[in-house]
Amino acid sequence: MSSHDQFREMYEAYALGALDAPDRLAFEAHLASGCEECAKGAAEARWVVSQLAYIAPDAGPSDMLKGRLMQTVRSQAKEPPAASSAPPPTRIPYWLSAGIAALLLITLYSAWSAHQAKEELRASNERLAARMEQERTETQQKLSAMEEQMALLHRESAILTDPAATKVTLMPQKIQAPQLVAMWQHQNGIVLAGQKVPMPASNHVLQLWLIPKDPNGKPIPSLTVRPDANGRMVLIIAHPPDPNQIKALAVTEEPEGGSAQPTSPIRWVGAMT
Amino acid sequence: MFLVTISPRDDAGASPDAALVRSLLQNDVNAFERIYDKYSRIVYSLVLRILQQSGPAEEVVQDVFLQLWRNSAQYDSARGPFVPWLLTLARNRALDTLRLKSERQRRLENQTDELFSVVVAPQYEKELDEKRRAERIRSLIGELTPQQKRAIELAYFQGLSHSEIAAELKEPLGTVKSWIRNGLIRLKEGLQTAS
Repeated sequence: MSSHDQFREMYEAYALGALDAPDRLAFEAHLASGCEECAKGAAEARWVVSQLAYIAPDAGPSDMLKGRLMQTVRSQAKEPPAASSAPPPTRIPYWLSAGIAALLLITLYSAWSAHQAKEELRASNERLAARMEQERTETQQKLSAMEEQMALLHRESAILTDPAATKVTLMPQKIQAPQLVAMWQHQNGIVLAGQKVPMPASNHVLQLWLIPKDPNGKPIPSLTVRPDANGRMVLIIAHPPDPNQIKALAVTEEPEGGSAQPTSPIRWVGAMT
Repeated sequence: MFLVTISPRDDAGASPDAALVRSLLQNDVNAFERIYDKYSRIVYSLVLRILQQSGPAEEVVQDVFLQLWRNSAQYDSARGPFVPWLLTLARNRALDTLRLKSERQRRLENQTDELFSVVVAPQYEKELDEKRRAERIRSLIGELTPQQKRAIELAYFQGLSHSEIAAELKEPLGTVKSWIRNGLIRLKEGLQTAS
């Protein structure tokens, strides 16, 4: 049997789609070689095979299927055919213009909204940063004050507990008041303290003066203090001058903020020993 | 799929069906409805026989006719009559659906282009109405041996190959090939005699 006869036996199975892959590929290669007889035989076999559909049991689709199909077809038939004479390409339909305009408005609004949101976010960030900076500064100030207070307490403690410190008792002058006590330690300074101290006049404070040994020297102004509600007062002078140059300590009542020179009589005074 | 180039019947393009299909190119809804009314029953019968379930069968039928509506230009009347083209389209769609469900290898995958292949109706073919055509084919298929009929049905309605049918029927491969070929030749001869 020639190869052509072999392929002739494949017409029906090829049309049926029953050829296994090797046979199918071989048959298609033979058709590709230009065999008109086999091409015609295959084409006729396709028709015979197509008739096999009629051996399927007769059945009909539902009316709903036709309804759906016709609805789809009618709706698509209303659309302008793609190949028909189209309107001039420069003419934009009204609905498309409206769509573009709406899209443009939406785009602009979105951009504006995004810009507003960005500005609000930036302002919020700035407010937050400023608030954080303020809180940081306040915290730093509180911390500094606490550290300063701690340093004064340490200094006060160092002065009061040093047995080498010089004690100066300041006696009240022409007033009914308890005496004040000053402790002078060379390294850490002076602590001036008092109990039940009379309150100075309104807008006035008590100011410490260091009286030099030099007869021509003027009283050296020092810090001011105002007793608390219980009359208690503590004044710490961190960096006093050389105690050997000072012959006495004195306290006067001065306007708030202190004075460069005493403006009122001495209220307490004590000599260095 | 290899495309053959031969000259089909001269009058293929002049058939009433071909004229209806050409009308679809002009979005002729009435032409579509006439085609549907005329062939939806045989298309549905074929697809239902392959898929065995009405729901999926209607989906495939819907796809087939929508493809016809949207891509009627795919049908070239110069390559053969309309009905075999439509039935081949429906069979391929149904077998594709069946294969997706059963995960079987798409053996006929390369033959889906069969739609573009030539189908030649023999000279004895006449324009028969669908009812008479069905009666004639069923009568002829009834004359085949049970083995021939069974092998052809497995190939046509389930898309099985020679070797798959041999495995299904537990028969030698050569025997199955003979059943199918001889059965289809007998069918072809019967159609000649009937006309």
